[in-house]
Amino acid sequence: MLIRCIRTENKKLKHSILWLACLAIPLIPAVMGTFNYLGNLEILTPGWHNLWTQETLFYANFFSAPLVALCCAYLWRLEHRNHNWNALMTAPVPVWATVLAKFAVAFRFFLITQLWVGILFLASGKCIGMEGPAPVEILGQLLRGTLAGAAVAAVQLFLSMAIPSFTLPVILAFIGSIGSIYVTAKGLGFLSPYALLMLGMNANHQENMLEGQLFPFLAAVAGFALLFGLLSIIWLKKKDIRA
Amino acid sequence: MELIIETEALTKRYGKKTVVNELDMKVPQGSVYGFLGPNGAGKSTTLKMLLGLIHPAQGRIRIFKQTLNPKNRLEILKNAGSLIESPSYYGHLTGRENLEIVCTLKGAPKEEIDQALALVRMENQQHKKAGHYSLGMKQRLGLAAALLGRPRLLLLDEPTNGLDPAGIQEIRDLIVSLPKKTGITVLISSHLLSEIDQMATHVGIIDQGQLIFQDSLRALHAHSRCRLHIRTTDNAAARTCLAQKGIAAAEKNGQIILEDASDSSVTRAIRLLVYAGVGILRAEAPQVSLEDIFLRLTGKKVSL
Repeated sequence: MLIRCIRTENKKLKHSILWLACLAIPLIPAVMGTFNYLGNLEILTPGWHNLWTQETLFYANFFSAPLVALCCAYLWRLEHRNHNWNALMTAPVPVWATVLAKFAVAFRFFLITQLWVGILFLASGKCIGMEGPAPVEILGQLLRGTLAGAAVAAVQLFLSMAIPSFTLPVILAFIGSIGSIYVTAKGLGFLSPYALLMLGMNANHQENMLEGQLFPFLAAVAGFALLFGLLSIIWLKKKDIRA
Repeated sequence: MELIIETEALTKRYGKKTVVNELDMKVPQGSVYGFLGPNGAGKSTTLKMLLGLIHPAQGRIRIFKQTLNPKNRLEILKNAGSLIESPSYYGHLTGRENLEIVCTLKGAPKEEIDQALALVRMENQQHKKAGHYSLGMKQRLGLAAALLGRPRLLLLDEPTNGLDPAGIQEIRDLIVSLPKKTGITVLISSHLLSEIDQMATHVGIIDQGQLIFQDSLRALHAHSRCRLHIRTTDNAAARTCLAQKGIAAAEKNGQIILEDASDSSVTRAIRLLVYAGVGILRAEAPQVSLEDIFLRLTGKKVSL
C-alpha cells in the first residue's frame, strides 16, 4: 500500500521544477560560504574544517530548513489546489500510507540535496585550492544533518497540510531557523527541529557540537518525526474535508 | 427491494446550524437515485458523509449492507467511485497521467484507463495537460476517474455543471446507461429538476437539510395527477348539481375544480351539468408539472 502511495507521489512530481530548486538553492550558501572563508582567512585557520564552518553557517542556519519547507509545501500544494482533497481522501488507501508517502518523498528530496551540498563543498574546496582529502568527520556531520532533516520534514509536512498557504509554512521555517540560532546558543537545541539541523551539520563550529550527545540527538530527531507524523495522521482522520 | 445505501437519522451540524437533519435515505440497488434540492440544501454534505469525508453529528450510514465505520471505510471506498463538488485534478499532469494516479491508488488494471477514456469520449484529449482543459472536459475526466476500478456505486455531485448542452446530454445518456450495462447504482445530486426527471428511477428531495420526498420517479409523477377545471355559465347551479350526485367539486378563480379527473368521472360530471341546463364554456385539465410539485413541497422555485 505504501509503495503504491509513493509511486503516485512520484507521478505527481512529474513535470515539476522542484528538483531545480533543490539543485539551485544550495549553490547560494556554498558560494557565500566560500567567499566568507576567503575573506576571513586572517582570523580563520585555513583548511577543510573552516570552509565547512563557513558554508554551514549559511546553509544550516538559513537555507536548509526553508528548503525542506519548500519541498513539503509543494507536496501539499498539489492537494490544496483543484479540489484534490476530495480525491485524496476518497482513495482506498489508509491515511498513514498517505502521510508516510509524502514524508518518504520529502526526505528523499532532502537526502539528494544533502549529497549535492557535499559535492558542492568538495568542489568549492578544490576550486580555491584546498589540498588533500576532506576530513571524514564532515561526512558524518552531513549524515547527521540529513537525519535531522527527517524531523524538519515531519513538522513542515504537518504545517503545509494544515495551512492551505504555500508561503506561510516556508516563512515559519525561516523564522524557526533564525530563532533556533538563539535556542542552540542557549544549549536548548534539542527542543527545536530546526536547531537539530544546525547541531547535526555542526553549523559554524569547529568543535563537535554533539560530543557525547549523539544518542539524545537521534532520540530528539525520532521524537519530532514520530510526534508530527502521528499528529498528521490524527488531524487527517478527524478533519472534515471542505475542498 | 435491496438497498445499497441506507441512512438513519443522518445529521450534520456546523456550530448551531443544522445542515443535514435526520436524513433517512434509501437508495435501491441498480437504481439511478436523483438527489434533488436547491443550492445549499445539504446535498454535497450528505454525499460527503456517505464517503466519510465529513463526520456526521449523529445517525448511521449503511452501504453495501455494512455500517460505515473507520474499519470498513476503505473496503467500501474500493467499490465506490465519486465526483464531489468540482472535479479533482493535477493541472500540471495530462489527463491520462491523472487517471494513472487514480488507477494506482485503486489498484485497478491500467487497461481500464482506455475504457474509461472511451466512455467519456476523451481519447483525443488524454495527452493534454488537465490544467488546460475546459470545465466540461475536467468534469469528464472526473467522471472517468470515478469509473476506474469498476465500482458498484457511483456518487456524482452535480456532474453536468459546466458542460455545454451537447455534453450534458452525452453525460446524461452515459449515466442512464450505466446501471443497464454494468449493474452499477448511481446516486446523482442536482438542483435541476428536469435533469433528474430525465435520468432518475428514484428521487429524494432535500430542502433545508430535510428529506421532504423519497420514492420512485413514477410515484413523484403520480403527484402530478391533474384536476379538471370547468368554466360554466352558472357556477352555483353547477356546484349544487354535482354535490347532489356526490361528486367532489370546489370553486376557485371563477371555475369549478373537479378533484377526480378520471375519464369516467369527467364523462359523468359533464353529462350531469348539460342535463341540468348549465352552460359549459370551457373544460380543461392543466398538467401539473414536476416544478409545481417541487414548489408545493419546498415552497421554492427551482431551475429548469
